[in-house]
Amino acid sequence: MRDNTDPVVRTGRREALIVVGIWLTAGMWSVTTSYRLGYNRPVEELKLIWGFPEWTFWGVAVPWVVCVIISWIFGVLFVHDADLGEELPEEADELGLGG
Amino acid sequence: MINLPSALLAAGEAATMPSVGYGALIALVVFIFASLWIGALANRKTREGSFMTGFFLGNRGLGAWALALTATVQSGGTFMGFPSLVYTHGWIVALWIGGYIVVPITGFGILGKRLAQLSRRTEAITVPDLFRTRFGSPALGLVASLFILLYLSFMMFAQFKAGAIVMKTAWPGSGVLSVNEDQKPFALSGNSLSALKEDRVPDAVIEKLAPLVGHGFSTERDLNTQLKTLLTADELVESKDRIVKRSKQLDRLYLYGLAIFSLTVVAYTLMGGFLAAVWTDMFQSVLMFFGVMVLLFASLYQAGGLDNATRTALKNTGPGYVYGPGYDDRFEGPKAAPNAKTAPRMAYDAEVPRQFLPLSLALSFFCVWVWSGVGSPASLVRLMASQNTHVIRRSIYLLSVYNLGIYLPLIVICICGRALIPELPGQTDEIVPRMALLATKDWPGGSLIAGMILAAPFGAVMSTVSSYLVVLSSGLVRDIYQRFIRPQAAPGELRKAAYISMIFVGAVAVVVNISPVAYLQAFIVFSATGSAATFLIPAIMACYWRRATVAGALAGMIGGASTVLSLYLLGILEKTPEQRIGQLTSFRPYYLCEVDPFVWGVLVSSLCSIGMSLLTSPPDEALVSKMFDKEATS
Repeated sequence: MRDNTDPVVRTGRREALIVVGIWLTAGMWSVTTSYRLGYNRPVEELKLIWGFPEWTFWGVAVPWVVCVIISWIFGVLFVHDADLGEELPEEADELGLGG
Repeated sequence: MINLPSALLAAGEAATMPSVGYGALIALVVFIFASLWIGALANRKTREGSFMTGFFLGNRGLGAWALALTATVQSGGTFMGFPSLVYTHGWIVALWIGGYIVVPITGFGILGKRLAQLSRRTEAITVPDLFRTRFGSPALGLVASLFILLYLSFMMFAQFKAGAIVMKTAWPGSGVLSVNEDQKPFALSGNSLSALKEDRVPDAVIEKLAPLVGHGFSTERDLNTQLKTLLTADELVESKDRIVKRSKQLDRLYLYGLAIFSLTVVAYTLMGGFLAAVWTDMFQSVLMFFGVMVLLFASLYQAGGLDNATRTALKNTGPGYVYGPGYDDRFEGPKAAPNAKTAPRMAYDAEVPRQFLPLSLALSFFCVWVWSGVGSPASLVRLMASQNTHVIRRSIYLLSVYNLGIYLPLIVICICGRALIPELPGQTDEIVPRMALLATKDWPGGSLIAGMILAAPFGAVMSTVSSYLVVLSSGLVRDIYQRFIRPQAAPGELRKAAYISMIFVGAVAVVVNISPVAYLQAFIVFSATGSAATFLIPAIMACYWRRATVAGALAGMIGGASTVLSLYLLGILEKTPEQRIGQLTSFRPYYLCEVDPFVWGVLVSSLCSIGMSLLTSPPDEALVSKMFDKEATS
């Protein structure tokens, strides 16, 4: 009976779980790194990397760029295309503005 | 002359700053006409399919760009509230907004594909529609639409006020550069102090008023009480009327602004419906991207590089500016002590610094931004309108590049701002417009670029309002009128009903805003997180859990909403001791265990919905199969 489950449900559920995993990893990395390097530190030890405080660089800027790359990989390679059912418009306009 | 306090000096500086002149006004007029034109274009597209899906859902044809650039929470706050936070608290705001690094993936990757499918299977046009058919329960649909109508009304009515004030400030010579969304009817700014000087109010009186700069008052009586503590009886008699007049935020210009703003928004939304809202939103997002890029390079150039900017900003402030939990200028700053006694209402205990982002809140916000983006009704509707899965996939990386290009540069711009403009007492909301003026002052056509950046909040407010208008009117027409009053209504009648409902909502918003209610702002803050806490868990269950029942979804909605509401009420009514964490606002929630109410709301909501689903008998297998199984079998 379960075999009859629509593929969109199955792939959707799996992708959702992976996304939750990405969110947890990113969150833990970002908060722990920032906390370790950037909370309750003496100002004399301030280190700047390209003008960012060290903690911002490693805790926010770098993971941000990494997440953009992951988003790209995830969007391009991982998410399964699927037929969403009827009611699809016959033709898509070029700019993809809808309508 | 006599020694003027620093607030006044800053006000004097403001007067000599390069002026916007007509730049902002021109940009606004361009914005208005562009939006009307977009509305007319959308109108033509809308006529292609059936009225209901065309007008309220753009015939489910949203492409990747439209989906990516409009589905996320972007409002006037992006260009006013957020920059002001960076300017005030420093680098720590980068961690505050940190959740945005995954927002594109979570926003589209968790519910996207499945929700788009489900909305087709249920033939849903609105979010309540989807719940109603997915669970086979009209009652659930009704509850969902009541929640949405409630939340969105509050959020929208307050946006009208913001729009009107932006229009007012664009008027050359109004002397104000931007608008605080949190604006109270009475407030004194540095500019109103210099205006008072022109009114020949004695310098001694103006000097005494300095501590009031940046504080808002809900009623004239509150302002008077405060004035009485600062001025002598004679001074009060002599200058009170002039002070009250200058601190009035809502005058005739405000009413003109309100009229023009409302007419424009209602007009183009009426013409083009959902698509008009989406397209103007997109138009504004693209413009902003370029605006921010130009401003980024200009400010880095002015500040002599980011390294230099950070060090100068640090010198202008204190260690908290580059470290967690954030800079507190009332604690570390130069004016820390003197203000402490006279500052009204937001009483300041100079013994303890405010922790803008303690560890608990840093973790909270990683949940708040991500999950409120997934669960807010406005994003759910956009997903329902998406064209196909290819579009959803592309939106993921389009948005991630866009966000990286907007938020990180905005942070950098405001850090440069703190380096170039050391202090902006009571006017930190103006940091982006001020940087725009400063950075473009030597350029040919600079005032137009500055004007465009000044007009950005207006565009943001306009597109937010129009998308709320669509959701509200679809709620009234589809979920109430068509479902409960006249199920047999013909398309022509529905069209008329949609137009009437939009004009009605617009008219109510105008009436409410002629003299805005003081506590409206509190409800927006609550509505924004509340609506996501209400719908997040039920939406996830609807998509992925076969065993979910009507009672479970209902319990989830009510549990989430009431948890958030009660935590906000506790804070707003000041039933709990003040917690010195988070943003300094007049409306603070109660942070139970120092965690944001949204997190508690979602937690309670999931417990309620899972528990209730398991307690009630399983849903009808035929219905579940229709929603979850391959279509050939049904």
